[in-house]
Amino acid sequence: MSIFKKCIVLSAILLTTACVTTTKIDAGPRNIGERLQLNLSGAWNQINVSGMNGPHAETWTMEGLAIDKLDIYSGLNENETIHPGSDAARDKKNYVFKASLQPEQIVALFEGSLTRDGSTFKLLKLQPTLFGGVKGFHFEYAVTRKIDNVEILGTANVAISRNQLYAMVYQAPKLVFYSRHIERVNQIMQSARIS
Amino acid sequence: MKRRYFLRSGSALAASLLLTRSAFANTPWKIPERMSKPDITSDEGGLWAMMDREETRLRRSPFALRDAALQAYIQDIACKLAGNHCADVRVHLVRNRYFNANMAPNGMMQVWSGLMLRVENEAQFSAILGHELAHYMERHTVNRLRDAKSKAAFGQFLSIFGLPGLIGALSVVASSFSFSRDQERQADEFGLTLMSQAGYDPAEAAKVWANLIEESNASTERDPSKNSMLFATHPASVERKDTLIQLANQLPAGGQLNEQEWRKQTKPFLHGWLEDEIKRGCHEESVVLLSRLSARFPTEAEYLWARGDIFRLRNLPGDADKAIADFQAAITIGREPAETHRGLGIVFRGQNQQKLASASFSRYLELAPDASDALMVRNYLEESNS
Repeated sequence: MSIFKKCIVLSAILLTTACVTTTKIDAGPRNIGERLQLNLSGAWNQINVSGMNGPHAETWTMEGLAIDKLDIYSGLNENETIHPGSDAARDKKNYVFKASLQPEQIVALFEGSLTRDGSTFKLLKLQPTLFGGVKGFHFEYAVTRKIDNVEILGTANVAISRNQLYAMVYQAPKLVFYSRHIERVNQIMQSARIS
Repeated sequence: MKRRYFLRSGSALAASLLLTRSAFANTPWKIPERMSKPDITSDEGGLWAMMDREETRLRRSPFALRDAALQAYIQDIACKLAGNHCADVRVHLVRNRYFNANMAPNGMMQVWSGLMLRVENEAQFSAILGHELAHYMERHTVNRLRDAKSKAAFGQFLSIFGLPGLIGALSVVASSFSFSRDQERQADEFGLTLMSQAGYDPAEAAKVWANLIEESNASTERDPSKNSMLFATHPASVERKDTLIQLANQLPAGGQLNEQEWRKQTKPFLHGWLEDEIKRGCHEESVVLLSRLSARFPTEAEYLWARGDIFRLRNLPGDADKAIADFQAAITIGREPAETHRGLGIVFRGQNQQKLASASFSRYLELAPDASDALMVRNYLEESNS
């Protein structure tokens, strides 16, 4: 079965097993939560899957969740989880944010939530950056997805402001899709402002 | 589940009592003749064909450990144990942080790196391989398959031997296909015979299970079958460990451990396997594992670095000091990985000991100037110096 067929099957499973709604996000300025403002140069799809995100996170996609996703965290509070664990996953740990965490510990939180199924994670770059006008950090990573061996690339900007986590994490298959959308994602990350 | 586990444990105890009149004392077990490939139209032939296809996928998998020297070394151990079945056994090494090995009816054996990290010598490794080979030679897997009546159950059964895919549900699936009490007893007994015939010390087999049980006891997940593929298909209990000791006592005492050769052959991969263990995020189990290994091999700095990093990440009260102690001990031993200095710098930075942090970060950048986080660490260094 080709990768693309598997992606279609995955999407179908997601759609049939969970309550999923898709909402178009139009180009232009947009507020995420109370303090994060973004300016979009093009439209995106927002995916709402019951139980997938907590109250301070949104998930967007261009191609469909099985292919690419942009997770946006806006004002995650102390002791809130990055992503709640599902009952099906072997790794039921919840990766809890604490404002005292150092950058590499926050990377480890994301890594943990991305590798629950045994996928492998490799950090490619970690460096300081400004995100939303706040001193933060940028990291890039590669994941080999366990279910289908697809090589995924990811990029993220993270900042902590007033003990709350703000982050944007984008990932897509290395082949075709990452390069197709990374410029658009970088534009959104650069437009971010934390008030 | 708990009731079934209780029943299994009770049954294992009864079995162990029966084993006081061991088969060793009666008719010695002989390695069966090599199996010929079954007719493709039979259920077993169909299973072989499917396993052949899975094996092709496994060969192409990015999770396959492709190192000719290590592969040859492991295959050689399997051949020592397998005797005349050697030509039919193909060992595949898989980079996976969990403890597992299995063998499909077509001769495809998978060994995961989490297992190789945990065993201390060739004899312990051969205990697991011998057990799996015994299941293969006695065709237990085919018999289990015939018990799986429905197509859905058959599909689940295949997933156990396929690529190390969706681990999440696999241990649950595996538990429903665990071998019977009699099959387990046979595999333990025959596996020990294979070990002994190959010249290994059979007393090492019980140590593998004892170490795993010790790790599991440290886990918040108290049912080991939910935490390990191997435990799911091979229920572990103290009784089982005791039975292995009893069985080993009935075989010629002593034998090879080949500890130095095992450590020499696996050393190039140790750092990566320890990175995988740290990333597993099961801090309590990892501390037990690394405490055992660092005590067993006190001149190996890698274990102390890894345990120090576990303490640093766990970050409970007192863990920062434990991390510093481990990192410094690793440096004293020498040949410590560069990450030891990064870890030390991060802990000192957290304690606001800027001069010590600065020295550690400088050393890290000396040893690993092109590390993926070098820019971040340079930033820490500038902050520490300002």
